[in-house]
Amino acid sequence: MGNKQTIFTDEQLDAYQDCTFFTRKEILRLHARYHELAPHLVPMDYTNDPECKLPLALIVNMPELNENPFRSRIVESFSEDGMGNLSFNEFVDMFSVLSEMAPRELKAIYAFKIYDFNVDNYLCKEDLEKTLNKLTKEELTPEEVELVCEKTIEEADLDGDHKLSFADFENMISRAPDFLSTFHIRI
Amino acid sequence: MTSYSNGGFFNPAYHDNETLEIDKRYPRKNNHTNPYAREAPSWQGSGAETHNGSVGRTTGGDDSLARMPWGGWEEESQRGRESIPMGLISTRHHDRNHSAFQINPDSQYDRSRIGQLPSSISANMTMRWRGMTMRSMSMFPDADPARLAFTEDAIRNEMENEEQNQVKELVALSTRDRIHAIRSLPTSFAEKKHIRSQVLKSAKKSRKNAHLADFSENVSLFFRRCGYSVRSARQTLQLWHGIMKEIGGKFGTSVLSYFVFLKWLLMFNIFSFLVNFGFITIPLLVYDPTPNIPPNVSFRGLELLTGAGYFRYTVMYYGGYSNKILVGLVDYNMQLAYFFTITLYMVLCGVALLYSMASSFQTNYVLAAPASSGAWQLLCSWDFSVTNERAVRQRKNNLRVQLQESLSEKAQRERLTLSVKLKQFGVYLGSWLLSTGLAVGCGASIFYLCQYEEQRTTDAPSWTLLQEAETLLLPFVVSLMNLVIPLFYSLFNKFELYSSQRKQVYALVVRNVLLRGSILGVLCYYWMNVVPEKFSCWESVVGQSLYRLVIFDFLFLMLGSFFGEFLSKVLGTTLLPRLGVPEFDIARNVLELIYAQTLAWIGIYFSPLLPAIQILKFFILFYLKKVSLTHNCQPPRRTGRAAQMQTTFIALLFFPFFVGAVSMVAFTAWRLTPSKHCGPFRGLSNTFIVVEVWIAELAAKPGSVWVVWIYQHVIESELFYFMLVLIVLVVIYMFWQVIQGRKQLIVLLKQQIVNEGKDKAFLLEKLQNLQKSRPNKILKQKTPKKHTKQRSGNVSAGGQSTSNAMLQALFARQQLEDEEGRRGNGGVPVPSDISTSSALVQAMMARQRAEDQEEDTHMSDTDFSSPSAFTQASQARQRAEVEAWDEHNGAADYHENAANTSSAVMLVMQARQRAEDEDRTQWVPAHPQNPVPAGSSALIQAMLARQQAQNEFDDGY
Repeated sequence: MGNKQTIFTDEQLDAYQDCTFFTRKEILRLHARYHELAPHLVPMDYTNDPECKLPLALIVNMPELNENPFRSRIVESFSEDGMGNLSFNEFVDMFSVLSEMAPRELKAIYAFKIYDFNVDNYLCKEDLEKTLNKLTKEELTPEEVELVCEKTIEEADLDGDHKLSFADFENMISRAPDFLSTFHIRI
Repeated sequence: MTSYSNGGFFNPAYHDNETLEIDKRYPRKNNHTNPYAREAPSWQGSGAETHNGSVGRTTGGDDSLARMPWGGWEEESQRGRESIPMGLISTRHHDRNHSAFQINPDSQYDRSRIGQLPSSISANMTMRWRGMTMRSMSMFPDADPARLAFTEDAIRNEMENEEQNQVKELVALSTRDRIHAIRSLPTSFAEKKHIRSQVLKSAKKSRKNAHLADFSENVSLFFRRCGYSVRSARQTLQLWHGIMKEIGGKFGTSVLSYFVFLKWLLMFNIFSFLVNFGFITIPLLVYDPTPNIPPNVSFRGLELLTGAGYFRYTVMYYGGYSNKILVGLVDYNMQLAYFFTITLYMVLCGVALLYSMASSFQTNYVLAAPASSGAWQLLCSWDFSVTNERAVRQRKNNLRVQLQESLSEKAQRERLTLSVKLKQFGVYLGSWLLSTGLAVGCGASIFYLCQYEEQRTTDAPSWTLLQEAETLLLPFVVSLMNLVIPLFYSLFNKFELYSSQRKQVYALVVRNVLLRGSILGVLCYYWMNVVPEKFSCWESVVGQSLYRLVIFDFLFLMLGSFFGEFLSKVLGTTLLPRLGVPEFDIARNVLELIYAQTLAWIGIYFSPLLPAIQILKFFILFYLKKVSLTHNCQPPRRTGRAAQMQTTFIALLFFPFFVGAVSMVAFTAWRLTPSKHCGPFRGLSNTFIVVEVWIAELAAKPGSVWVVWIYQHVIESELFYFMLVLIVLVVIYMFWQVIQGRKQLIVLLKQQIVNEGKDKAFLLEKLQNLQKSRPNKILKQKTPKKHTKQRSGNVSAGGQSTSNAMLQALFARQQLEDEEGRRGNGGVPVPSDISTSSALVQAMMARQRAEDQEEDTHMSDTDFSSPSAFTQASQARQRAEVEAWDEHNGAADYHENAANTSSAVMLVMQARQRAEDEDRTQWVPAHPQNPVPAGSSALIQAMLARQQAQNEFDDGY
C-alpha cells in the first residue's frame, strides 16, 4: 500500500478513474504490467508525468496481445504518432477501450480503426483482404478471399459504394451482440 | 478524401496554389458538421455558420488565396490597361488585405453555439464528440510542418472553441453523467484529462458562492472516491478473475459464458442462503440452539448421502422449525417469518431473472443479424480475449473452414431434391418421436419407481440402515437417466443434418428440457399427491428426497465429466483418433446447471438450507469443470452466438423451470394441508392461513387499520386483480401496436437507405461523365499555358490564375456533389465528415472570393462605364465561351490572344459572380449598366444553377 503513493498522486489516480474504465487498483496493475515490459525504461515514479514511450515491438510481446492477429494494428491505433509507440497514458487508453465496461460505440470506433489498415476511413476491399489473411493464416485461395470479401461488402454495405464506411460498420456491429464480449481483452 | 486529392494532383495549378491545401487541411478541425444532422437540424445550421466564421478567421490563408489570382490579374492588367481599365483593383486589394471582409469570428461562433446549446445538448452531444474526436485524432496523419505552422493559430483558436463548448455541455450534466461522458470520449487520455480539468474548473466557477463550491466539490470528490473504493473492493471480492481470464484466453468467450453462468448461479444461491439463514434459521437457533432429536436417532454417516435419519430433525428441513412466537428482545413470529421469507425470496428471484432476461434479450436479440453472414464472420467474430497460441491456431482453422463452408453452402442448398428432403424430414420425425418417447418413458418409469418406493418405506421415526439405503434408488435412477438419455439425444443429433448449428443446438435443448420436465413433473405429482397422504411429517420427507436428488445430481455431474470428457479424450487420443479430442458441450452443461438450480428452487420451501448444499456443489463444480476443460477438451469448433445462447439459457431457466418451481411451491402453500405434528404451520388448514390469522390479529390493534384495509380490498379482492389484468392487457396491446409500427418503420427506413444509395450511385455516375468531358478542357487550358510561359511570364501567371479560379470552382463543385451523394445515404460515417466540411468550406471560400471580386467589379463599373469596356467584355466572354466549348478553335485562340483570353475568363468569372449576387438579391437592379448578358451565357447559367443547387442543399440540411 505504501507503494501506491509513490507511483501516482491521488489526483492522478482520480483523473485516471474519471477518464478511464479502470479502478485505482487496475491502474496500478496496468502500471506494473507496463513497467515490467521495460523495467529500465519505465520509471516507478509517475507523479510528475515523465515522458516515456515504449515501442510497438515491446508492447505486442505482452501475453494478452502476443497471439492476437491484429496486435500491431491495435497498438498503432492507440498510439498518437501512428507508429505504435505508446506512452503509459495511451497504454491505459488501449486497455480501457478493450475493457468490459467500455460502451459499444467507443469499441466500434476503435475496432473500425483497427480494421482500417490503410487509414483511409473506409474499410475497402484491400482492408478486408488483409483482415481475412490475418484471420485465416493466408490459407484461403485468392479466389476464395475475393469471394468472401465481396460477400462481406455486399452484406454490410448499405449505401452501395463498395466499401464500408463507419456507418456501415457500426450498423453491422449493432447487429452482432457478441461483439461487446469478443472485443474485450482481460488484463 | 483520397479521390479528391487525386483529382487535385492532376492539376498543376492545384499545387501552385497553397491556399487550396489550406482548405483541405483546415476543415479537419473546424468542421462541426454533425453526421447525424437529421436528428438535430439546429445543430447543422450552426455548423454552416461556423464555416462562415472560420473562413473569416483564416485571414492568413484567405489573404493568400485572394492574392494569388489578383496578383495575376494585376500583372495582366498592366499589359492591357487601355482595354480593360481596372486600376482601382490594386488599391482594393490592399484594403482587403487588412480588414475588408473579416467577419468577427469569435462573436459569431460563440453566439451561434450558445444559441443552439440547450436544444441539442442531450440529443447529439455524444455524436458530436465522436465526430469531433475522430477528426482530431486523424488530424495530422500526414502533416506537413510548414502548412501546419501556417494555420497553427487558426487551429488553436478553433480547438479552444471546440473545447470550451464541450466543457460547457459537460458542466451542464450531473456529475455521474459527466464522468460517464468523459470516459466514453474517443480521445486520448491526455485530452480527456484536460477536458476533465476544464470541466471541474468551470463547474466550480459556475457556482456563485466560492465556499459552497469548494464544499460541494469536496463532497462530490469524496463520494466519487467512495464509489471507486467500493468498486475496487468488489473487484477484489470478485471470484476467479484469473481463472476466468485463463479460460477465456484458451477457449474463447462461448465456453467462458458457461462459467459466467455458473458463477452467476453461485451468487444467486449465496444470496438465497443468506436470506433463508438470516431470517429463518438464525432466530430459531438463537432461541433454541439444540435440535430436538429423538433419543434413538444418532449420526451414522449415511445421512450425508440420504439426508434422512439424523438430519431429519435438524433445521435442514421444514420439520425442524417451530410454530411458536419466539420471545426474546422482540417477539418473532416464526410462522410469518417462514412464509414471508420464502415468498420474498421467490419474488426477488423472479424479478432478478426477469430483469436479466429482459436486458440480455434487449442487447442480444434485437436486430441481430444471422450468424452465418460473412460480414459477421469476418469482422465481428474474432475473439480478442483469446491469448493461447494453440487456441488461436485452431480458431483460425475453424474460421477458414467455416468461410469455405459458407461459400459452398449456397450451391448445396439448391441441389436438394425432393427425395432428399423427404428423407431428411423422415429422419427429423423419427428422432423427434424417439426422443419424445424416451422422455415419456422415463417419466412413466419414474412414476412406477415412486410407487414402489412408497410401498417399501414406512412412516417410522427412524429407519434402519437398509431402509435408508433403499431410498437412494430413486435419485440414482433419476440421475442416471439425466446422464444417459442426453447422450442418446446427442447421438440422434449426429444423424440429423440441420442446416445451421443453431437449429441443432436448439433441437438438443428442447429435447433435454422435455426429458427433465417430464421427470420433474412426475416427481412433483408424487410429492404433492402421494406423500402427504402417507407420511406424518411429509414436508420433511419431500425435503429429504430433494436433498438426495441434489446430492446425486452432483455425483453424476462429476461422473459425467469423467466419462463424458475424460474417457472420450482417452478414446479420441489413443484408440480412435478419428473421434478426436471432445469439444466442451456448452448446451448440455448449461442444462445440467439449470436442472440443478430447479431442484434447489423446489426445495426451498421444504428444506430452507438447501442453498447451502447448492453453494458447495457449484463451488466444487466450478473447479471440476475447469480442470476437466483444460485437460480434456478442445475449444468448440463452431463459435455460435454465445451471447444469444446465454439469453436462451436464462430464458429457459426462467420459463419452464423457475415458473414450474414457483407454481409447485405456490400449490403447496395454498392447497395442501401442512403436516399436523411438525413444522411452523402445524395445525393450520393451509399455509396461507397464516396471513389471515395475522391480519385478524392486526385488526384488533387500532394503529394498523390501513394494513387490514389493504389486505381486504387489494389482496383478497377479485375486482382488483380483474382490473389489474385488464390494464396490463391494454398496455400490452398498445405496446404490441407500437412494435408493429416500428417494424414497418424499419422496413421503410431500410428501403430509404437503399434508395439513397441508388441516388448516390446515380450522382456519382453523372460526376464521372462530367469528369470525362472535363479533362479535355483542363488539358487545353494547360497547353496554352505552356506556350505562353515561353513567351511571357505575365501571361503565364494570368493563365494560371484563370485556371486556378476555374478549377477551384469546379473542384469545389465536384466535391460538393459527391458530398451530397454521400450525405444523402442515411447515417453519414463519422470519419468521412472531414471531407464533407472541406467541400463546404471550399465552396464557401469560393463564394466569398466571388463576392469580393464582385465588389471590385462594381467599382470598375461605376468608374469606367464606357460602352467599349462592355463590348470588350462581351467579346472576351464570347471568346472564352468559344474556348470553353469549342476545343478545336480554343487552343488557337488562346494561343494568339493569351492576354485577352485570360482577362476574358476573368470577366466571365466576374460576370458570374455578379449574376450570383443578383440572384441572391432577387434581381434588384443595383446598377443600370449591369452586364446582364452575362446571365444569358450558358456557362454562367450552369454556374448559377450550381450555386442555387448548393444554396438549396445548404438550406435543406
